[in-house]
Amino acid sequence: MKPSNNNLKQADVKTSRYLTFSLGAESYGIPVLNVREIIRLCPITPVPRMPGHIKGVINLRGTVIAVLDLRAKFQLSSIQQGERACIIVVQIKGHSGQNTHMGAIVDAVEEVVHLSAADIEPTPDFGGAPDTHFIFGVATIRGGVKTLLNIEKIFLEDGAIVLPAISKSKNTSETQQPELKS
Amino acid sequence: MTPHATNAFKFSKASELLGQMGEEMAFLVPDLDSGLLPINGIVMDLEELAEAGAPASFSAAINVARQWLNGILDGTGKFTADSIQKFNEWHEWVSGLLAALEEGEAVPDAPAAWGMALKSAGAATQAAAPSASVESVIGEDSQGSEPAILLNLSEDLDLLREFHSESLELLQNIEQGLLVLEEKPKDSTTINSIFRAFHTFKGGAGFLHLDAMRDLAHELESLLDAVRRSELQITSGIIDLVLAGADALKKFTREIGAQLQDPGCHGPIIVPTSQLIRRLKAALKGEVEVKCAPELVAQVPVVPVVEAVPPPATPVSPSVPSPKPPVVAVPSMDPPPAAVVQPAPIKQGSEKNEAAPLPATAKETSGSGAASSFVKLDTSKLDNLVDLVGELVIAQSMVVQNPDVSKINSLALARALRQLSRITTELQRNAMSLRMVPIRGTFNKMSRLVRDLAAHQQKQVQLELAGEDTELDRNIVEKLGDALVHMIRNSVDHGIELPADRVAQGKAPQGTVRLSASHQRGGIVIRIEDDGRGLNRDRILAKALERGLIKPNADLTDSEIYSLIFLPGFSTAEKITDVSGRGVGMDVVQRNIENLRGSIETHSVLGEGTTFTILLPLTLAIIDGLLVGIGEDRYIIPTLSVRESFRPRPGMVTTVHERGEIVSVRGRQTPLLRLGQYLGSSHRATTPEEGIIVVVESGDAARGLLVDELIGKQEVVIKSLGETFQGQNLLAGAAVLGDGWVGLILDVDTLVKLPNPQRVPKPAAPTLN
Repeated sequence: MKPSNNNLKQADVKTSRYLTFSLGAESYGIPVLNVREIIRLCPITPVPRMPGHIKGVINLRGTVIAVLDLRAKFQLSSIQQGERACIIVVQIKGHSGQNTHMGAIVDAVEEVVHLSAADIEPTPDFGGAPDTHFIFGVATIRGGVKTLLNIEKIFLEDGAIVLPAISKSKNTSETQQPELKS
Repeated sequence: MTPHATNAFKFSKASELLGQMGEEMAFLVPDLDSGLLPINGIVMDLEELAEAGAPASFSAAINVARQWLNGILDGTGKFTADSIQKFNEWHEWVSGLLAALEEGEAVPDAPAAWGMALKSAGAATQAAAPSASVESVIGEDSQGSEPAILLNLSEDLDLLREFHSESLELLQNIEQGLLVLEEKPKDSTTINSIFRAFHTFKGGAGFLHLDAMRDLAHELESLLDAVRRSELQITSGIIDLVLAGADALKKFTREIGAQLQDPGCHGPIIVPTSQLIRRLKAALKGEVEVKCAPELVAQVPVVPVVEAVPPPATPVSPSVPSPKPPVVAVPSMDPPPAAVVQPAPIKQGSEKNEAAPLPATAKETSGSGAASSFVKLDTSKLDNLVDLVGELVIAQSMVVQNPDVSKINSLALARALRQLSRITTELQRNAMSLRMVPIRGTFNKMSRLVRDLAAHQQKQVQLELAGEDTELDRNIVEKLGDALVHMIRNSVDHGIELPADRVAQGKAPQGTVRLSASHQRGGIVIRIEDDGRGLNRDRILAKALERGLIKPNADLTDSEIYSLIFLPGFSTAEKITDVSGRGVGMDVVQRNIENLRGSIETHSVLGEGTTFTILLPLTLAIIDGLLVGIGEDRYIIPTLSVRESFRPRPGMVTTVHERGEIVSVRGRQTPLLRLGQYLGSSHRATTPEEGIIVVVESGDAARGLLVDELIGKQEVVIKSLGETFQGQNLLAGAAVLGDGWVGLILDVDTLVKLPNPQRVPKPAAPTLN
């Protein structure tokens, strides 16, 4: 419980609007304030000898930005991306303290939701494993569960993250453990 | 400045003030500050009176008192028996002067040592005067404690930053100028520019209340002023002294810079200057007073004296030669007359005197400064501009090559597109040139270094510069400086022999270090040559063995042996000097140069000298790239590192131990790397004969890269790959290609230094899907 509580506190309560997107059947949310833009999936130049979740680089109006495959990052099965697939470009503070832009491929962008602090529940305890640190909470919207992601941790940590399968009812997810592989 | 100024002068007010002063002076006690403030106040009133219009002699007298007071205020803040005595004398004399002026009688002579010396009083009095000069009083007062400066970081932060960067520039100009003066002592343009630099420095320091700096700059300025007026001959002693002064100012500036960087280390900055100031004053007095005393006493109202002033740079105001007490007394800011009557002071300066040399220099400034003017610019803005122009070029080519556009059959459109292309190309060339600066600045710094090193080691070394106008990307120039310092030090320290040794070997006693820059092979070549003792192959080998850097019996070529000196921890100097020989340096040099995507070659002949050749790209922003295709992927190889490319004939590629492939090119055996295999792209070419081999080299190592095809050669703007890819060294960056795709630029150095690829473990993570 501790890490998730901390994460809940760290995540500024003021960032109460979230962009939700889907990866397969699952739904995730990231703070809207970090989202710079959403672009259509475009050809990506692969970068050799990099971990699989780093898809490559794209030219975003003259700036070269890295693109992550969130499916690979979360170790979900890879699929042929459809028409709705897009790249969410986020702006985060890098290790050097400078703002950097990065892209993430998602299956589809859903909507922008307004969440108050009360709507956000701490990450359920998946059996004591500490690796839920990239999730800072879950929110239930109209019966669906959105996993709220700490994007800095996701984008700046190398390696793939194994997500617990979050089912519609979070009580059943207690048995699975998240895992971070590097 | 009217001829009636004297009439307007209020004698009654002046004598009233002098009377008050006399009363206050009765209360002065040595080593106490009582009475200082009242006297200061009275002198201020007197100054005001003088400014409103007063005979020159009176103004000059007030000036003297002001300087004495400043000396006390800036120093200990206390009167000494000596200074009280001087003030009493002064009071008596000024009272007499006032009476004489009022009656229209001849003005009494002032004691010569006051600095407002009289011609008639002559040098005899001056020489006899024990120690009563202004200078010595101040010198003694400040002897005990060096003046410290304290920065007001909270209020003056921006100003200090500006001052700091400006000062660094000024100091560099001064240094360069002085080195020029050493060769051409009469070069008035240079003298003037140094003088102006000190003057600007003083102004800035004074404005920010950095008194210690201001005073030192003031003395330096005065000295230079005397030189400028040909009252003082440039000697190597003077140059050394001014260099020492500039160094002290640099120390101050560096400290200020440190405090600006880290406000945590806020504290008083103390750099010893009083000794320097005394030496400067001595230098100034030593020659000036004897030789040209009359020229320094323009404030004395004796007509012949005024006429003795040499024609200054500015036209003499018509009022000056007018009869009877020349009415030039007002030490106001009226520029041209001020320049005439108040030659830059050898005395402690007040603001009025400081203003004096300005008009004289203004014209010269406009003369020499008109050649080129500069705008200071934030480099990040420049980088942005260059980036955007790069994008524009790409966007333009996208429009021109757009299939829909090319279908349009319109002459006007074709013409417009051609025009667009031309302008974009021109714009790009211009934008790129913005980043280019001549390497002159860096080279000039080396002159100083060589001069100091040579003097320090009792060697005679001459530095020859060539190609200073060669332009390089400013980022490279900045980073190159340190490496050059190390290498020049090395050449002077280890390369050049002592004069006696050189003569014994039949060489000229003076050694030569030649530093040159030139364009070559699409890049810049910087060469450091010395005619010293050369690299000793056997000593290097022995040292490398001793340090365990090589195996015994290792069979090394000359160039391999020479490259040993770039290994960390290598030094063959038998005795460690404070400049080089600690084994740090050359490895840093090599690293710096590699970071600049450059390489370094060494050539040496024992007993004849050593040549280091540094090959650098023109700019860090753009490279000339060879675009190669491997399967579906495209990569860019910097053309600078490509030696050749060819389609191999059968038999050129052989296998060694069934693992490594080797290609023989004109008798040279080069290991082959199947690039596609290594990068995880599928080769279309299954055998080397179906593909192309690109031979790349970095330093002395080379490697053949097997690719499918050569797509073309083009200039590309290098983009950083960002933090995600910081950990890898396979790619040097990325570039946006003409069609909007991102091309990856290969880091040749990494590829060349790869161990035999077949033995490279496969990457842990799956490469690509």
